[in-house]
Amino acid sequence: MKYKSEPQTLGELLAATITLAKDPSAAGRWFIGSMAVLVISFGFVMFQLITVGHASFNTSSDGVNWGLPIATYVFFALTSSGLTMIASLATVFGFKQFYPIAKRCIFLAIITLVAGFSVLALELGHPFRMLWVVPTGVQVMSPMFWMGVFYTIDLVLLIVKFYLMWKEDWDSPLSHLVGNAGFVAVILASGMLGLLFGSMVMRPMWFGSFTSIYYMLTAALSGAAAIVVTTYMAYDFDREKMPAQLKAFASGIELPRVFTTLIGITLVMMLARFWTGLWSNMDGLEGFAGLFRDPLFHVEMWVGLALPFFMLLSEKAARNKNAQIIAAFLVLGAMFINRLEFIVSGQTVPMFKGNWTNSLIAYSPSVTEWAMAVLGIAISLALYAFGEKVLDLSATPDHLESTEATAARAAT
Amino acid sequence: MAKWGMVIDLEKCTGCQACTMACSMENGRLPGEHWQDVIFYNEGEYPSPQLKWFPRPCMHCENPSCVAVCPARATYKTEEGQVLVDWERCIGCKYCMIACPYGVRFYTEEKPRYGGPDMKSVFKSGDAHSWNPPWKGPAENWTRGVGTQPAGVVSKCTFCDHRISKAPKGTADLDPQNPATREFTPACVVTCAPGARMFGDLSNPNSEVSKAIGNKNGVRLLDHLGNKPQVYYLTGEGGSVPGNRVLPTKKA
Repeated sequence: MKYKSEPQTLGELLAATITLAKDPSAAGRWFIGSMAVLVISFGFVMFQLITVGHASFNTSSDGVNWGLPIATYVFFALTSSGLTMIASLATVFGFKQFYPIAKRCIFLAIITLVAGFSVLALELGHPFRMLWVVPTGVQVMSPMFWMGVFYTIDLVLLIVKFYLMWKEDWDSPLSHLVGNAGFVAVILASGMLGLLFGSMVMRPMWFGSFTSIYYMLTAALSGAAAIVVTTYMAYDFDREKMPAQLKAFASGIELPRVFTTLIGITLVMMLARFWTGLWSNMDGLEGFAGLFRDPLFHVEMWVGLALPFFMLLSEKAARNKNAQIIAAFLVLGAMFINRLEFIVSGQTVPMFKGNWTNSLIAYSPSVTEWAMAVLGIAISLALYAFGEKVLDLSATPDHLESTEATAARAAT
Repeated sequence: MAKWGMVIDLEKCTGCQACTMACSMENGRLPGEHWQDVIFYNEGEYPSPQLKWFPRPCMHCENPSCVAVCPARATYKTEEGQVLVDWERCIGCKYCMIACPYGVRFYTEEKPRYGGPDMKSVFKSGDAHSWNPPWKGPAENWTRGVGTQPAGVVSKCTFCDHRISKAPKGTADLDPQNPATREFTPACVVTCAPGARMFGDLSNPNSEVSKAIGNKNGVRLLDHLGNKPQVYYLTGEGGSVPGNRVLPTKKA
C-alpha cells in the first residue's frame, strides 16, 4: 500500500531532488546537511589523494596495511547485508509483520553498499584498473575475487528487487525469485567477506571458518540496528507520525526481539573468540591481549553491546521507543568500532620486522582516513534523506491493507 | 626449466646488511623499503639477553599465498619459480601484503620509513614512475616488477629477475665466484662478503643449493604454514631460524 506518490520518470525524479533541496522539512535539512558534509569530506579526501596520495594514510608496510577505510567499507558492506537479511524475514521467510520495513531495508541496503564501495574505491591504488583486471584475471582462489562477485550480484538483485517494490510488485513469481536469490547472494557475500579474513592462516587472530559465521551474524545485528535508527529518523523520532501499519510494528515486540537476540548471539561469539584468543599461547595471537587493554574495545563490548542487551530484555522496555532508539544507536556505534577493532587487531602482530617493530603495532587513523569514514556516512545519510523524501519507503503490499486496521487496533 | 632457490648459511652471516644495501641500490628502493633485510631481534631478558639477526629476502614460496589471494592476477609464479608482481595489473588492494607470512611486500604510497625528507618529493618523477631515484639500474620491466615502480602498486624482491633471467639454460649454480655466472647472480648473493648465500636450481640434484639443503639439513621459515619457501636456511651450530614471530614472552 502506498502512502504518497513516487516520481515515475527521470524528469520527475530530478524535479523531486530540486524540491527536496529547498524543502524545509527534517528530510530536507538532513539532505542539505549531509550533502554539505559529503562535498567537504570528498573535496578534502581528493585534495589529499592528489597532493599527497595514500601517504596521507597512517597505514604502513611495516605496520597495519589495512586501516580505517577498509574497516569503514566492511562496516557498510555488512550493514547492507544485514538489512537485506532483515528484509528477507518478510520477503523470503514469510514473516508478514516485517513488511512495513522491507522496502526501507532494501533501499538502505543499496545505499550503504554504494557508500561502502565508494570508500573502498578511494582506498585502492588503482580503482579504475580493477574494473578490467578482476574480470579478466578470474582468480578463483582469491576470497576477494568471490567477495566482489557476490557483492556485485547482491547489488544488482537489490536494485531489481527495489524496482519491483517501486512498481508495487511484491508477490509475482519474479519478485519472490529475486528476493530468494538476493538472500542467498547476501549470505554468500557476507560470508565470503568473513572468509577474506578467515582464510589467512598467517594471521591467526582472523583465521578460521568461525570468522565467516561471525561476519554473517554480526552483519544481521548491524542491519537490525540500522533499520531501527532509520525508521525512527524518517518520522522525526516520533511514532505518532508513522503510518498505522508501521506504527503498530514499531510498537510491537517482533523487531526488538530479533534485535536483542542478535545482540545476545554477538556477545556470546565475542566471548568465545576472546576465550581462545587470550587463553592460547600460539604465536600470532598476542593482539588479543593488546585489544583487551584498548579502552575502545571495552566501550564496544560493555556500552555498545551489553548495555543495549540488558536495556531491551524486558518486554516493556523493548516496546519503549526511547529504549529502542538508544539501543540501536549504541549498537550501530559498537559495530563500527567492531569492524575497526577486528581488522586492525588482526594486523598488530608484526611479520618479521625485527627490532623495526618489536612489539604490537600501534595504529590510529589519519585525518584523511577519518574524512573517508565521514564521507561514507555522509553518502548514506544524503541518499537516505533523498530516498525518504522522494520515494515511499514505508510502502507495503496491498493485501496487508485489510489487516492494517486490526494491527492499528492491536497497537493501541 | 630451472627452479631457482636460495640457501643462506646462518653460521656465516655476520648481519652486516651489505645484502640489504646491494639490493636497495640494484633495485632502486626507497630508504627503508627493504626487499631484502637483515632483521635484528632480541630474545631473553637480563641477565641472559641475546641479540640475534636473521637475513630475510622474499621466500618465493612454492605455494605462495600472495599469489592465491590476488584478485587481479597481478602477482604470479613464473615457470622458473619466482613470485613476481605485474605493475600493469596491480590495483594496490594490499591483500598480498596481508597474506604474506614473511612481511616482504611493500606498498609505494606511504610516509617515509625513516621519517623525512620524503625521497619521492626530493627526487620527483615527471612521468608515471612513483619517483626518480638518483641512481637506477638500466633494467626496467613493469610486467615483472623490475625497476622503479609506478604509483599505487605493491613491490617485492624479484630474485633479481633482470639478472637471473639472462643465465644460460640449464645452469645449475649461479655462483658469484665463477666469472661465467657472476653477472647473472642476484645482487645480495654477489655482495655477501662472508659468502653466506648460495643461489641455484633446486630442481637439479647436483646443484650446490640442493646438496647443501640435503647434506646440512636446510630448514625453512614458518614451514608449518605450508607455503614451502624456496629460500632455505642452514643453521649449523652458530645460527638459528626464529621459531615464531619473536615477540616478548607473555607475562604470567
